[in-house]
Amino acid sequence: MNQMSYVKRSILTAVCIALCVVLPMAFHAIPNAGSIYCPMHIPVLLCGLIAGWPFGLLCGLAGPLLSSLLTGMPATAYLPIMMMELALYGLLTGLFMQLIHTRKIYVDLYISLVISLLAGRVLAGIARALIFAPGSYSISAWATGYFITCLPGLVIQLALVPTIVFALEKARLIPVRYPVEEG
Amino acid sequence: MNTMPSGQYITGTSMLHRLDARGKLICMFVLLTAVILTSTLWGYIFIIAVTAALMLFSALPAAALFTPLRRLWLFFTVIFLMNALFFDGNAPLCSWWIFHITAAGLSQGAQVVLRVLLVVLLSNILTCTTRPMELTGALESLLKPLKLFRIPVEDIAMILSVAIQFIPTLSEEADMIKKAQTARGARFESRRLTDKAASVAPLVVPIFLSAFRRADELSMAMEARGYRNAGSRTKKDRHALHLPDYLALTASMMICAASVFIF
Repeated sequence: MNQMSYVKRSILTAVCIALCVVLPMAFHAIPNAGSIYCPMHIPVLLCGLIAGWPFGLLCGLAGPLLSSLLTGMPATAYLPIMMMELALYGLLTGLFMQLIHTRKIYVDLYISLVISLLAGRVLAGIARALIFAPGSYSISAWATGYFITCLPGLVIQLALVPTIVFALEKARLIPVRYPVEEG
Repeated sequence: MNTMPSGQYITGTSMLHRLDARGKLICMFVLLTAVILTSTLWGYIFIIAVTAALMLFSALPAAALFTPLRRLWLFFTVIFLMNALFFDGNAPLCSWWIFHITAAGLSQGAQVVLRVLLVVLLSNILTCTTRPMELTGALESLLKPLKLFRIPVEDIAMILSVAIQFIPTLSEEADMIKKAQTARGARFESRRLTDKAASVAPLVVPIFLSAFRRADELSMAMEARGYRNAGSRTKKDRHALHLPDYLALTASMMICAASVFIF
C-alpha cells in the first residue's frame, strides 16, 4: 500500500475527512448511534491504514473539527477529547501498518487495528485524566466510556475495516499490499 | 440527510459577508477567548449583546443561526442538570438522596450552557457568512508560520478544501445508498440491536467503495493535469486586509479586553 502517489493519498484523506461528516449524518436515524457505533472512527482508521500515519493524523484532527463546525456533532465540549482520540487512532494505525509485515494482509490489519484501538484508548484515558478532567476521571468511567458503551462499535470496526480494505484492494482502488507473484 | 447541515454559507451582501475571511477568523478566535475568560454576569450580558449585534449585522435568517441550538437541547439539559444536581457546595437549597441543588451548582450549570451556546452561535455566524473556500484559504494563510516546522500547510489547506467540496456529493450518495438498502430490506429503524448492527455493513461498505472510487478518479485527473503538490503552486488572487478588516480586529480585541478586565 506504499505505492500510492502523494496526490492520491491527499485526496483519499480528503474523502475520509468528508466521510467523518457524512457517516454520522447517515447514522442519525439510529438513536445514540454516535456513542454506540462510533461512525466517525471508521474513516479515520481506514485513512491511517491506507494512506499512512501523517494523513491518518490529519484525518483524526480535521474530521471531528469539520463535523462539529458543520453539523454540531460532536458538541464543542467533547471536541478536543475526540480530536485527540481520533488523531491517536489515525497516527497509530498508520505507524503499525508501516512497521508490521507478516506477508498476510488480514494479520497485518488486525494487529495494527487491535494495538491501535487499545493504545489509543489508553492514551486518550490518560490524557483525559491528566488534562481534560483532572481529578474527576476514574478507571470505571474510562472502562464504561471506551469499552462497554461502544462495544457494538468496536465489533463493527474490527469486522468492517479489514473487509473494506479488502474490498478496496479487490476493486483496484488501492494498491495490493502483497501482490501474488506470477509464474 | 436531505438538507445540508446548518452552518452552510448563505449568500449575502451584509457587512460581515464583505469582511476578509482571515480577519473574521481571527475575530472569532478573539471573541471565543472572551467567552471562555468571562466569569461575571455583566461580562456575559455584554457578550450576549455583542453576539446579538453581530447577528443583526450579518442579516442572516434567524432559523439558520438557531437550528444547531435546537439540536443540542438534550446536551444543554444534561450539562445543566449534571452541574446543578452534583455540584459540591455548601448550604444546599434542596437535597434528596445523592442530589444536592446548590446556588453555586445552578450558576455553574447556567455558565457552561451559556458558554457552549455562545460558541455555537459565533461559529455559526462565521460559517454562514464565509464561503468554505475562503475559510480554507484564510486557514492556510494563518497557518503559514507552521511552515517553519516543515508542516505542509498548503497541502493541508488543499485537503480540507477538497473535503468540504466532497461533503454534499457524498451526503447525497449516502442517502441514495440508504434508500436502496432500505428497499432491499435493511432495518435501520428496528429497535433490536442485532438488526441495527446487521444493517450497518450494507450501508457503510458501499459508501466507502463509492467515495474511494470518486477519490481515485479525482486524483487521476489531477495527476494527468500535472498537479504534484500544493507547495509549489502560486495563487491567482492575493488580497490585502482593508480598513474595515482592521476595524473589526480592533473592535473584537477591545470587546475581549472589556469583557475580561472591565466587567
